[in-house]
Amino acid sequence: MNVSSAVVRVHGLVKQHGRGQGRVRAVDDVDLEVPEGQMLAVMGPSGCGKSTLLHLLGGLERPSDGEVWLAGQRIDTLSERALARLRRRSVGFVFQAFHLVEELSAAENVELPALLAGRSRRQARRRASLLLERVGLTDRARHLPSQLSGGQRQRVAVARALVNDPLVVLADEPTGNLDSAATLDVLRIFEELRSVGQTFVIVTHDERVAATADRLISMRDGMFVDDTRLAGTGTGRLGDLIGLED
Amino acid sequence: MGSIVLIVRLVLADVRRHKVQAAMLLLAVTVATATMALGLSLRGVSEALYEQTRAATAGPDVVALSGDAGPAATSALASLADDPEVVAHHGPYRIVYADLTTRDSTSSPVVVHGFAETPGAVNRPLVTSGHWVRPGGTVLERGFATALGVGVGDHVTIAGRSYPVVGIAVTAATSIYPWAAQIGPGGGPSDSSGLAWMTRSDARTLASSHDLPVTLALDLKLRDPAATEAFLDADRASTVTNLRSWQFTAEQDMVILKNSQPILVVGSWLLSFLAVTGVAALAAGRAVEQTRRAGLLKAVGATPGLIATALLTEYLALALAGDALGLGIARLTVPAIASPTASRIGDAAGPGGATVATATVLAVAVAVLSTLRPTLRAMRTATVTALTATARRPRHRPWLTALSALLPTPLLLGLRLTARRPGRAVLQACSTATTVIAIVALLTFYAQPTRGYGPDGSSALPNLRDVHDRRLLLAVTVLLIALAVVNTITLTWTTAIEARANMAIARTLGATPGQISAGLSSAQLLPSLPGAVIGVPLGVGLLSLFAAGNPAEPPSSWLLGGVLATLLATAALTALPARLAARRSVAQALSGETA
Repeated sequence: MNVSSAVVRVHGLVKQHGRGQGRVRAVDDVDLEVPEGQMLAVMGPSGCGKSTLLHLLGGLERPSDGEVWLAGQRIDTLSERALARLRRRSVGFVFQAFHLVEELSAAENVELPALLAGRSRRQARRRASLLLERVGLTDRARHLPSQLSGGQRQRVAVARALVNDPLVVLADEPTGNLDSAATLDVLRIFEELRSVGQTFVIVTHDERVAATADRLISMRDGMFVDDTRLAGTGTGRLGDLIGLED
Repeated sequence: MGSIVLIVRLVLADVRRHKVQAAMLLLAVTVATATMALGLSLRGVSEALYEQTRAATAGPDVVALSGDAGPAATSALASLADDPEVVAHHGPYRIVYADLTTRDSTSSPVVVHGFAETPGAVNRPLVTSGHWVRPGGTVLERGFATALGVGVGDHVTIAGRSYPVVGIAVTAATSIYPWAAQIGPGGGPSDSSGLAWMTRSDARTLASSHDLPVTLALDLKLRDPAATEAFLDADRASTVTNLRSWQFTAEQDMVILKNSQPILVVGSWLLSFLAVTGVAALAAGRAVEQTRRAGLLKAVGATPGLIATALLTEYLALALAGDALGLGIARLTVPAIASPTASRIGDAAGPGGATVATATVLAVAVAVLSTLRPTLRAMRTATVTALTATARRPRHRPWLTALSALLPTPLLLGLRLTARRPGRAVLQACSTATTVIAIVALLTFYAQPTRGYGPDGSSALPNLRDVHDRRLLLAVTVLLIALAVVNTITLTWTTAIEARANMAIARTLGATPGQISAGLSSAQLLPSLPGAVIGVPLGVGLLSLFAAGNPAEPPSSWLLGGVLATLLATAALTALPARLAARRSVAQALSGETA
């Protein structure tokens, strides 16, 4: 693989929790490269370290050892402030629990990272409208998160993750709280984004979700135990393939 | 630009979502800043009212008072009028000492000034209703008339003779009611007296017909009104009892406000303290939610500085709005508080620059002190930890667990809840202590003997200063109690919300809703008890710092009653939120915690 085309690259990555005898290696000496446009799924049992890996890739946590590079820039040595700036421009997060600001409307939630990135209010609004249309929520733009279903909330979260055209979208169990229909909606959006070259790292428990990826890494006890290239899946086959067609 | 829009949006959305908290902060800061601004504005307003009265009445620069009405005194006063520094004068005129009785038999000492029917260039009392003196009629000073409840057209009896009240007027030549006499007969000390004017001949007749004490006065206008000290130092008044500058009279106006200033300023400190404890309790109750929100903002790229700005901006904006409201209220109420006698006229200016700055510093301090800790916590907590924030795990205290096991269930629950959140317990204790301090001050004030303004100190006319001080202290105490009530309810509710999972577990183990409710009440009462006990000596101590002389102590039974009433009120106030919290479904509480 051409190193220069890797959006995400980690080397010798270690993350330890606790001290003394209670010390646990959540991520244990991991190497990884994710090229541009790839959809990578990471699977493994609960507590295997896959969410910690995602947090390390996005600069939400600092590694105990090793290096994390994002688009050729080493990020594990950056200050908290610099990491925040990097996240707002280069990383889009999608969480299992959505993590929307409850007192802001769907559109305002989507605008949030754009405003943080210094865009004008008008630019942020235009971009949010575009993305909400893309995820099929134009008519819900003014609704508060509490007025949306779980699937709709996650679609808002996806739109928010994309508002600054990030280099990579990091999704932590994005369908973990969704029913089948809502899961299919979210995966269709992911598939559309992949088709235009968006890079993804998705942590999931769900094999059906993992099956939509280009590449699947299995984790156990903080280590990669398998790294498999999957056959590409077209949007039209998505539902059939993962058994979610409504 | 985007960050500013975002901060404004987050602040507005959060205020909309937490209206009660916003209203509480607004109210607390408004009350505290209004009280402080009032306290700090009194002197300025009093001086401004004196200045305006002096300008409107051609007030003298110096008043010469002689305790003797004989030829020597007259001659000495006349020589003062010829002094090269004096550019105009009025008098000498008689001051007759008598008693005045109204139609409803209210009596008061009065000094009667004998004036010309046409006022001169110096000391022209301003008639505010009716007209100036004419033979057979009297004009009453406005502060005196207000205290007597007398108006134009009424009749008053002075030294046994009835006079119609033909006018009401104000003057800057004398101190405000009830210190119009300035000196007593023979130059001795004076009683609390009102002021009346008559024609010169009526005053002479009044004095001679009843052989009443008489002194003389002369009003002087100087070439340089600011140079009164130099004039007084020149020892021109060897045979004159007293020379009083206009600055001295202006300063005398503050005597009636001597206690008002400490009542308001110290009251504002206590109100600010309660505001901080109340808002801090609310902020602590929302700490988990705020930390989660901070984590979410960090995850999407907000810097720690922006998060701190967003959190503090909300509280600062509300505090500054409260500050503006408080200053507005102070502006509206200060004339009534700074001039309780009606002896002065004019429009009181608003709080001065220094007062505005001090009140604003107070408001900002309340906002920052009450939110600093949760803001720092939100800033410092790692993003991933913040996203999954839960209430902080209380420290394990084995000795307390063992001790509480010996107690009845409500006390067991109460003690353990108190121990879970020691910071919250300290806030409750401080809130109770502050309330008791105010109650002790109020009781001590009411325990002081009061001397009325009637003849020989009778209470026919109430002591205006005492009445004014008691009203102010009562108002401040009521405000303090109101804030303490809000604090107690807030603390109980936040304790109940944070402890809902534990209380639900206790319910699954067999505790009844009544025991849970009593436990939550006990958790507030336990810290209230030491707070109330400490409040008594703190109240006495605080009062001794500001009270003149040795104030009489209130009976112990009053203090004990105050403490018990505070504790009973706390128990009653905690009952409602505790009962509401105890009624929550166990299953709902348990699933809510695990969600």
